[in-house]
Amino acid sequence: MLAVMHQRLMFGMLLFGGIVALIVLRILYLAAFGDHAGRKDALTSLIPDRGDIVDRDGQPLARTIDAWTIAIHPAKIIGSKLDVAHKLAAIMPERTAEQYFAMMKSGRTFFYLRRRAAPDVVAAVNALGEPGLAIQREPDRLYPQTSLAAQVIGYTDVDGRGVAGMERAYDQYLSDPATRGEPLTLSISNRFQQALEHELSAAMTTYSAIGAAGIIMDLHTGEILAMTSLPTLNPNKAGDGSPEARFNRATLGVYELGSTFKPFTVAMAMDSGVVKSFGQMYHCSKELNIYGHTIHDTHPFGRACSVAEIMKESSNIGTALIANQLGAKRQQAFLKKMGFLDPIKVEVRERGRTLTPGSRWGPFETLTVGFGHGIAVTPLHLATGYATLLNGGIYRPATLLKVDARHPVPKGRRVFTEDTSYKMRALLRLVVTQGTGRKADAPGYRIGGKTGTAEKLVGGHYTSAAVVTTFAGVFPMDEPRYVIVTMLDDPKGTAATYGFHTAGWNVAPVVSHTVSRIAPMLGVRPDKNREPNMAEVLSFVHQEPKE
Amino acid sequence: MSAGRSFRSLFMAASCAGAALGCYLVSLRVASERAALEGVETEIVMAQRNLRVLQTELGTRGRLAQLERWNASALSLSAPNADQFLAGSFELARLARPEPEAAIGAPVVLASAPAPASPVLQTTSDELDRAPAPTGTATASFAPRSMMSQASLKTSEKFSQGQSRPGTLINGTREVPANSAAKPSAAGGKSKDQPVTAAKPAKDRSLDMPGLAAAKSTVKAPAKVVLKAAPALAAKPEPKKSVDKPALVAAKPVTKPKQLAKADPLAPLPAKTSGPTRKEPASQR
Repeated sequence: MLAVMHQRLMFGMLLFGGIVALIVLRILYLAAFGDHAGRKDALTSLIPDRGDIVDRDGQPLARTIDAWTIAIHPAKIIGSKLDVAHKLAAIMPERTAEQYFAMMKSGRTFFYLRRRAAPDVVAAVNALGEPGLAIQREPDRLYPQTSLAAQVIGYTDVDGRGVAGMERAYDQYLSDPATRGEPLTLSISNRFQQALEHELSAAMTTYSAIGAAGIIMDLHTGEILAMTSLPTLNPNKAGDGSPEARFNRATLGVYELGSTFKPFTVAMAMDSGVVKSFGQMYHCSKELNIYGHTIHDTHPFGRACSVAEIMKESSNIGTALIANQLGAKRQQAFLKKMGFLDPIKVEVRERGRTLTPGSRWGPFETLTVGFGHGIAVTPLHLATGYATLLNGGIYRPATLLKVDARHPVPKGRRVFTEDTSYKMRALLRLVVTQGTGRKADAPGYRIGGKTGTAEKLVGGHYTSAAVVTTFAGVFPMDEPRYVIVTMLDDPKGTAATYGFHTAGWNVAPVVSHTVSRIAPMLGVRPDKNREPNMAEVLSFVHQEPKE
Repeated sequence: MSAGRSFRSLFMAASCAGAALGCYLVSLRVASERAALEGVETEIVMAQRNLRVLQTELGTRGRLAQLERWNASALSLSAPNADQFLAGSFELARLARPEPEAAIGAPVVLASAPAPASPVLQTTSDELDRAPAPTGTATASFAPRSMMSQASLKTSEKFSQGQSRPGTLINGTREVPANSAAKPSAAGGKSKDQPVTAAKPAKDRSLDMPGLAAAKSTVKAPAKVVLKAAPALAAKPEPKKSVDKPALVAAKPVTKPKQLAKADPLAPLPAKTSGPTRKEPASQR
């Protein structure tokens, strides 16, 4: 009897011991791994399905939202399919009732009826009470600023993969769960972008141009603050955009940018010791017959002219003479160092390849390249070139990412001497105060720059009827900080421009208006009493006696 | 003893069970706290998600292109031009300076504010306060304070009408109000000379009296001027004074010539000056 009691007692003790052991183990487990016990990962963090893209001020440019999707499972329709088809046609009139009915009779199991449906449409479809109609939420890419900077931001395909712009260039970063929690911060700013797009768009309409491009860039860091290409598209409906609108003229399009190249030629000549002073004289005849070709000027001097005057009046003949002294080898070496002979270096994949004379780069080609003909580069090439010219002479590739601790300013390479860079300030300011770029001036903001009007090649021949007008400017010229390049493709003359379609008439005012809008936001205070050292050039400019 | 031994194992088992139960309760408590914490975290995440949705919607509705359209259609705001920027607080303060026109009337301001010849000013102010009393025409407007500003205003009107400047420039502001007020009594070109004649009894001082004009309108006023301004000369106009009883009563302060004599001619208008003048019109009001 006693033995039986002992056995029972032992059994009871073992039972209790087992329970206690289980509990202790459970406590130990909670202590060691309790953080994960019963936790729903998806709800404890806010990681979007695709990373955000924001501008330099943190304003969203691209976001993934949960959009409503309406679909249909024809096999699950329980009511009259014809009735459902009629009701669907009334709610979503993009298809007729016959089409809806045909879809239901097709034998397929699933159709998308509408993606990114509006809430009222979703409510109406839901009110039909048909179990065969599926309403669900799925991630969708939204571009809140619609067409703003569309070519820079890019867009995604229906599966959410980036197919253009930064969406494409940083597809991996934006879709990787490890990185997509952190937004991709671009260097562009919504406000500057809007100002540039608005002004360029207005000019494009006024002058009936077929396209336009514009870039605003920080010349010390290479950050692109605004970059646009017109016509543009709405990336929310990228499929509706024309091929012309999808084309990024700023980085992919290459153009002969004409006289905007002349400052480079002068700077190369100064650095090489060919030009020692802005007062150096050249024989600027009415026309120049050289190497079997004839070069003309829009405003021929017909006399000796100084380097300052050559730039002021944008003389092809004068620049050709300087380029002739410079020589092809030195010219190529400088252009190479400036990155003009390579595809543009920038994050987006839509990068244009420079067109050069190549193996035919002889003495005459050197002259034409000197004044911006015979070489086609992207507007972004031109912007980086002006940044190099005026930031002290150091080339840095352009970037569309905000410069900060994670993305520091890249180490540049010297192209021009600091002295040459400094002297170019007054020369470019002269063009705006007294030369061809007077309409680009914005009082107080000390804009300097150069106009360029290049004839387009139509049917293998240059024609003056179609031109590409460009203005490349820098402000404030007494202490250069920002580059602005604007370009109009095939602008037409108007009554207001007296029929002229040159850069000074149509694209230069865009710069004036844009700078007036953005400079205060950039921290550039207008000051009518500040100027670069104009004494360096004014003494070499022949002043016509006043009548 | 044996009974105690037999129950010993039972006690041990019971205590083990109790300890286990206690541990389990702790575990349950921890789990429930964790669940509550997770619930809060989930709520935070949901709130963040909603916030994000609302921000996105707000950003989309207020996109820059839309704002630009609204600006073009309704607000018409434009970028400030270079002249609208100021270099500092000094330039900002300059914006608050008086209008350039005020410079024309500057002598008037000087006449009413400082007292280059305080005795005269005292008399004039006193006089002015009293003079209109009998006529009662512009009584209200001759309140000491309002009178001064009115005088200035009239002066500027006179200037604009091409009144002789040299006269006004003699003693600046003081003569001008006299001229302007003299108009009603003396017509045409004579009005210019009126202040001078009226001033005669008080000599050149009377020229400086802004109240002269008011005095002119009634015959009594010049008498008061003399009375107050120069007691020594009071004999001359005294006969006329008899007509003006209230003026005589008001002339009590004549005992104050000492003050007039003591007053610093370069000092600004003293409080004393306005003291007595305020009292009188107060009674008139």
